[in-house]
Amino acid sequence: MTENSDKWLDAYHDPVASLYTFTQCLTLSDIQADGDWKLIVADLGTGTYDMKLKVYKNTTLLSEHTIIDLPTGVVTFYMDTLTPRTPAIAVASGPYIYVYKNLRPYFKFTLPPLDIHPVEEDLWNQAKTDQVNILNMRDTLEAMRQEGASLTVRSIKLLQMETNNLQNFVNLHKNTPLKKQTVITCLSTMKKSVPDDDAISCLVLGTENKSIYILDPEAFTVLATVNLPNVPVFISVNGLFDVDYRIVVSCRNGCIYTLKRGSTDVTRNMIELNSQPVGMERVNKNIYVGCMDETLHCFTSKGKKLWTVRLPASITAMEAIDYKPKSFTAVIVALSNQEVHIYKEKYLVDVLKMDDVVTGMRFGRFGREDGTLVMSTKRGGLFVKILKRTAKFEEKDKLAGPPAAQNTKLNLPKKTKLFVDQTQREREQCVAMHRTFQRDLAQLRLKVLREYVKALDSSMNPISSDPMEPLKLSAHVQGIGPTFKFSVKLQNTSLTQSSSNLLITFDYDEHLYDFRKKLIQVPILVPGLTYSFDTFIDCKTDKGLSDNVKVYVLKPGKSIPLITGVVSMPVSESIVLV
Amino acid sequence: MPFFDALARWLGMKKKEVNVMVVGLDNSGKTTIINHFKSPETKNHDIVPTVGFNVEKFKSKSLAFTAFDMSGQGRYRNLWEQYYKECDGIIFVIDSSDKLRMVVAKEELNLLLENPELKNRSIPILFYANKMDARDAVSSVKCSHLLELQSLSNKPWFICASNALTGEGLHEGVDWLTDQLKIVLQKKKK
Ligand SMILES: Nc1nc2c(ncn2[C@@H]2O[C@H](COP(=O)(O)OP(=O)(O)OP(=O)(O)O)[C@@H](O)[C@H]2O)c(=O)[nH]1
Ligand SMILES: [Mg+2]
Repeated sequence: MTENSDKWLDAYHDPVASLYTFTQCLTLSDIQADGDWKLIVADLGTGTYDMKLKVYKNTTLLSEHTIIDLPTGVVTFYMDTLTPRTPAIAVASGPYIYVYKNLRPYFKFTLPPLDIHPVEEDLWNQAKTDQVNILNMRDTLEAMRQEGASLTVRSIKLLQMETNNLQNFVNLHKNTPLKKQTVITCLSTMKKSVPDDDAISCLVLGTENKSIYILDPEAFTVLATVNLPNVPVFISVNGLFDVDYRIVVSCRNGCIYTLKRGSTDVTRNMIELNSQPVGMERVNKNIYVGCMDETLHCFTSKGKKLWTVRLPASITAMEAIDYKPKSFTAVIVALSNQEVHIYKEKYLVDVLKMDDVVTGMRFGRFGREDGTLVMSTKRGGLFVKILKRTAKFEEKDKLAGPPAAQNTKLNLPKKTKLFVDQTQREREQCVAMHRTFQRDLAQLRLKVLREYVKALDSSMNPISSDPMEPLKLSAHVQGIGPTFKFSVKLQNTSLTQSSSNLLITFDYDEHLYDFRKKLIQVPILVPGLTYSFDTFIDCKTDKGLSDNVKVYVLKPGKSIPLITGVVSMPVSESIVLV
Repeated sequence: MPFFDALARWLGMKKKEVNVMVVGLDNSGKTTIINHFKSPETKNHDIVPTVGFNVEKFKSKSLAFTAFDMSGQGRYRNLWEQYYKECDGIIFVIDSSDKLRMVVAKEELNLLLENPELKNRSIPILFYANKMDARDAVSSVKCSHLLELQSLSNKPWFICASNALTGEGLHEGVDWLTDQLKIVLQKKKK
């Protein structure tokens, strides 16, 4: 386990717990009323079968129940006033809520059926008495689907069938009554009339047909229904059903709506996000939303954006920390780069490095420890970390976030007249200025290119452009005169090919200088090595003149030099006669 | 009356007094263990989580113990260090069935050992791997391994498995502690 944070203790890890689950399907609760909190996991199994409700006591699996369909959420809630105060577990799966009490199945709630499109209902009624041609039926259904009508699951299945299976399918199903059901997308709880920890709570659920339902915990009747403009995916509830409450829902269209008791206008205080939400948490009065575009935003309950932070990778899970013993609140964000970041307000205060991508997280009491972070990972691992008693999270103790200096106001001088005039001119003449700039830029580029071509043509540059003779030249002069030492360094820059049969010669003003060696024979050049060749130069004048000297590297049989170097000679000191 | 005290002690009637601290995480069984040592008339019948700490007295074969029964709850754990100075021995109780919190016990033990008051003192530490009767309890050997006791070298220590409900293993531990404390007292006299 690579661990870089010193604030957490590694309480448990099982990299092969074979759990396939998400934050919504994890919860911590004292379901046996013994002060030893259990971890409740709705395991998605393989994603198609083997779905299970698992309960962990300490580090051992206490119980397991098979779930028939994929779970979409797990919560625990008090549904009665019996003692000992054992909460029930509710698992949302398809259109059902399965309620378990004392770890035994107790009740199954089914969402109210939806109205079926009259044409669709008609078709199936006719099919019952074989009054309709199956192919016609399919075409009509297909046409309805394309018009955007919402169909029952049965009709959608029929549309996916091969023609030769249609008859069998219709015969098999035509006699069972047609039902249209929606599925639950998110699940939460809301205390009914008192705010105590063990007060009776209602279930609050969001569904695929863009509604929120609030259920009575004792009779399992629908107490309230709210329709939303889009499909809810994350839900956060606070308040009391009988007094006043607020439900914040983020929807698949990238909007966050706030529902209040007694109000039907959900678009007030609406928050529009730039990207789809992938997690939403509420801490105190603020709403924290993680988006698909690798950002984390914070809004007030009124919908005003407070800040945004960019994350280094995409979000895989989100959870809030509300750690009462230290009154520490923060948001934990798990990222696809196997890190878990903890943000206190907009400051990154801690980073946990994991061996796997975290897909689900819960922070809370587990066993007898209050500050426990339970994590499930992509490869099916289960990790438990405990916040150290001595851990301190200091704001800005990680480098992220703006430096403190950014918040201090700068003492800006007043705008001068010149500045104002200049701004004015820039505003009025912007088109002309831009054109002039562009023209100059184009001309500059042209000139550069011309010079470059010229240099290439005459091999005027110190690096050879000939792929057959890749050479690099550098030349310099040492001394103060009247005799100078002139050294030429040659390097064969090819990796494998050696150069041979080269000559070095110089071009200079014969009235000014005299080279002692006018021609240097270059030995074979081994790739990569730098060779140095020297000659002495005598300066023939004492009038303080100087000139450029050119160095050519030649190859017999070629009319132009391979490379050329230009060295400007220093002014020579005159001979001092003693 | 010092003379009578000395006489009584010489006759073996009055025992020497020692202070011990009983620490460990909440729910590990500290109060239950101390309760077991108390005389029948002072025994408590129902044990509730300790708030702050309690001072209890009990006797072993040759010493009179004054035990500081500290609360193990997180918010009271910073009280422990207030009493390190006065104590002659430490009893550290571990719930050997709480595997999840073994790391927390280890962390608290490390904080205790690192405390300047105790760091360089050769104070005897008795570990009870309590709740040995629980279904998923780990052995005392495993317990000492999880707490990395093998690296604790500058203090005499001893670990024994115990069941505070029946008393099993408790006397073995206190006998060891008594012997250790007697050595300490003898050294002090010199
Ligand atoms: N099975 C079993 N239970 C035990 C044992 N020892 C203590 N208990 C139980 O553990 C629970 C906690 O015991 P306490 O003695 O209150 O624990 P404590 O360490 O004093 O806890 P705090 O005062 O909160 O620090 C009680 O319900 C005891 O009955 C044991 O050896 N085996
Ligand atoms: Mg106690």
